[in-house]
Amino acid sequence: MTILESAKKRIITDEMKQVAIIEGVSEEFIRRGIANGEIVILKSKNHVKAVPVAVGAGLSTKVSASVGMYDKNDTVANELDKIFTAVSAGADTIMDLSVINDIDTMRRTALTTITKPMGSLPLYQAMAEAKKKKGSSLEMTIEDLFEVIERHAIDGIDFLALHCGTTMEVVNRVKKEGRLDPLVSYGGSRLIGWMIHHNVENPLYENFDRLLEIAYKYDIVLSFADAMRPGCTQDSLISSQVQEYIVLGDLITRARDAGVQVMVKGPGHVPIDQIETTVKIQKSLCKGAPYFVFGPLVTDTAVGYDHISAAIGGAISAYAGADFICYVTSAEHIGLPSKEQVHQGVIAARIAAHAADIAKGNEKAVTWDLEMSKARKNLDWDKQIALSIDPECARQVWTERSDDFSSECTMCGKYCAMKIVSKFLSKEKVG
Amino acid sequence: MNQIDAARSGKYTEEMEKVALQENVDIEFIREGVAKGNIVIPKNRLRDRKNICGIGRGLDVKVNALFGTSSDRDQMSMEAKKLKIAEEAGCHSFMDLSTGGDIDGMRKQSLSLATVAMGSVPVYQAGVEAIENKGSIIDMTSDDLFNTIEKHAADGMDFMAIHCALNFDMIHTLQKTGRVTDVVSRGGSFLTGWMLENQKENPLYEEFDRLLEIMKAYDVVLSIGDAIRPGSTADSLDQAQIKGLMVAVDLTKRALEKGVQVMIEGPGHVPLNHIRTTMELQKKLCHNVPYYILGFLATDIAPGYDHITGAIGGAFAGMYGADFLCYLTPAEHLGLPNEEDVRTGVISTRIAARAANIARKRPHVLQSEYNMSKARVDNDIQGQIDHAIYPDKLKNAFASGIQDVNGIEDEAMQVAARYFLNR
Repeated sequence: MTILESAKKRIITDEMKQVAIIEGVSEEFIRRGIANGEIVILKSKNHVKAVPVAVGAGLSTKVSASVGMYDKNDTVANELDKIFTAVSAGADTIMDLSVINDIDTMRRTALTTITKPMGSLPLYQAMAEAKKKKGSSLEMTIEDLFEVIERHAIDGIDFLALHCGTTMEVVNRVKKEGRLDPLVSYGGSRLIGWMIHHNVENPLYENFDRLLEIAYKYDIVLSFADAMRPGCTQDSLISSQVQEYIVLGDLITRARDAGVQVMVKGPGHVPIDQIETTVKIQKSLCKGAPYFVFGPLVTDTAVGYDHISAAIGGAISAYAGADFICYVTSAEHIGLPSKEQVHQGVIAARIAAHAADIAKGNEKAVTWDLEMSKARKNLDWDKQIALSIDPECARQVWTERSDDFSSECTMCGKYCAMKIVSKFLSKEKVG
Repeated sequence: MNQIDAARSGKYTEEMEKVALQENVDIEFIREGVAKGNIVIPKNRLRDRKNICGIGRGLDVKVNALFGTSSDRDQMSMEAKKLKIAEEAGCHSFMDLSTGGDIDGMRKQSLSLATVAMGSVPVYQAGVEAIENKGSIIDMTSDDLFNTIEKHAADGMDFMAIHCALNFDMIHTLQKTGRVTDVVSRGGSFLTGWMLENQKENPLYEEFDRLLEIMKAYDVVLSIGDAIRPGSTADSLDQAQIKGLMVAVDLTKRALEKGVQVMIEGPGHVPLNHIRTTMELQKKLCHNVPYYILGFLATDIAPGYDHITGAIGGAFAGMYGADFLCYLTPAEHLGLPNEEDVRTGVISTRIAARAANIARKRPHVLQSEYNMSKARVDNDIQGQIDHAIYPDKLKNAFASGIQDVNGIEDEAMQVAARYFLNR
């Protein structure tokens, strides 16, 4: 029985119990959320080491970090190092998006090393293998694709990113609608190229039942990737994006009926005044499925600083109802992130998630802010640093910018507002 | 003639022309905005400078950088460097917040170096000098305060943050209600201490007309300092903050009637679910004068990353009407920013302003977004550099041979590119 089937039958599983404790909500809250599809638990039957993570309505916002080998010089060891960096920075999940080299070893090593749920995008590997064995990614067969999907499933991947909703009808619409950037999605664009070349419908859509069987067998969450997400602010809320959600809405019903949990991937690039609409459209068309946003970036022009652009978009999205934020690093649009950029990317996304959690009234988040501000008022530096989202960074900045470590900081020196006012206010009692 | 007087008598000033040109709007739109008080143009009569900017309704959101010495760090040369870095990174104005060393010398240096609008907080200097010369903030006199204000105006300050919207009623509210972080404004803390010890009303509040005379004489924009802004997300929209805003309402009206350009300084720490309310309340109550916000910081827990918490809050507030964003640097809550912090602060805040400007549908901003994305689709390197907010990292990446993350070498990708882009 899958987690979703259990929830529907009113059975509380161990995974539900575990996440209920982590989230500080009742087991029944989790169970009901899963049963109606608004919450998913990432935990494959085959990922022995994973501690389950819940994503969805009424829960804290989660953060995912993506790594992977993109270049022939990239190594498993280096990417593992980035995974450790991401996990220690507080990422809730990891995605391995390797497209080259020994992808199997990369995935298997990660899965047996870390306790975080992991996602992958099997199309990358299927195409990489077709290219290696047959000379071209276009030579990939449907069998090849499903074989790789099953391989990932057997290894213990907890969520699979798949472009199931990118049908020929959607592709034709893109051709007509006049997008500025039709090639946004690394995997989606390749899938479309393959479909056009062979003049066939999307195999993930056509063989959706086969996909459901695999997801069911291992209890994997399907993460519907959006090939038509806007890749620039100009393309936000364009018709093909919405049409893909319509297709996904139908597939979501089929998945749930089959006992398979689903979430949906989101943009991308979204102007801030369109974020709320984007989230509401997804939630409505995709029947309340958890929303996993990639950023979103709120301007196209912040290259080199896209982790900041994404933090703005991620915070506003999560406040509007998105549940899961895929980090964006400062290397976005430029190259591949270093370890340091991975760290910064995770922290920026966590700030966004936390800002939204406060706004949504998440008790733990609100208390965290309160504790910090009390420590600040008391000029208790040890506590302030311990409560910082990145204590090591806070300590470093504080140390480097300080001269004598008096009770104040060098910003205001001895004219510290907190100190002055505390002194005078404590003298004066309310009469 | 002052900007607002000119606007009200139907005249176009040279500054209005410049602002209209930059913003791609009709000069009449600017004149009307200045006349009504929806737009301010900070420009001291006595100071000539290269770059003029307008702040307010219907215009781009602007970015302010802070610098200045403190009692712990008073190297004027370092502050001069920060000023240059901030201008190079694209700030629209500065505030010199010096409280250490030769404050007069610092201000003169800043005013001569900056090519953009410059602001100050005179109560810092008045307070610091009282402490240094008389032993305590309590011994500062009302004349000390106003003389300092006049000195800053005569030196050419274009705008000044002045904590006039602080009175005993507010302090009593503060004591009665209990806050997590009572007063986080430095100017506010000086005045609160002064008021409590002397049991006298805030001179800047009591002698507001005297203040307006000075502002008017030099055409300085009055930025009503937010003495009682929330310093933690828990304090946002509490009774003390709203009382402060109510006091600012009346003072704003008096400033507008007197023909003094005015804007309101705002928080501070504001959770995302309070931003819209904070903005709408301020705009409605304060006669739609420009709102100059410090952040907003969307959470308290990210010291070392407050340029990011500030960018989140600033962007969202800009969409709901904030006109002027004061930057935050990674050093906020931890210490005085260094040169690199200043650069990071300006760039982050410009990203927030840009996000807001897109939402505000500024035509030239939307065009620039389009050009950037088009350059990206076309693999036009120079185009991307031209339209990036701050292209340093992009340039480095191109110089060291950018990695092909778009996978143009992939056959399936090539088919898709041919199909959609005919290439």
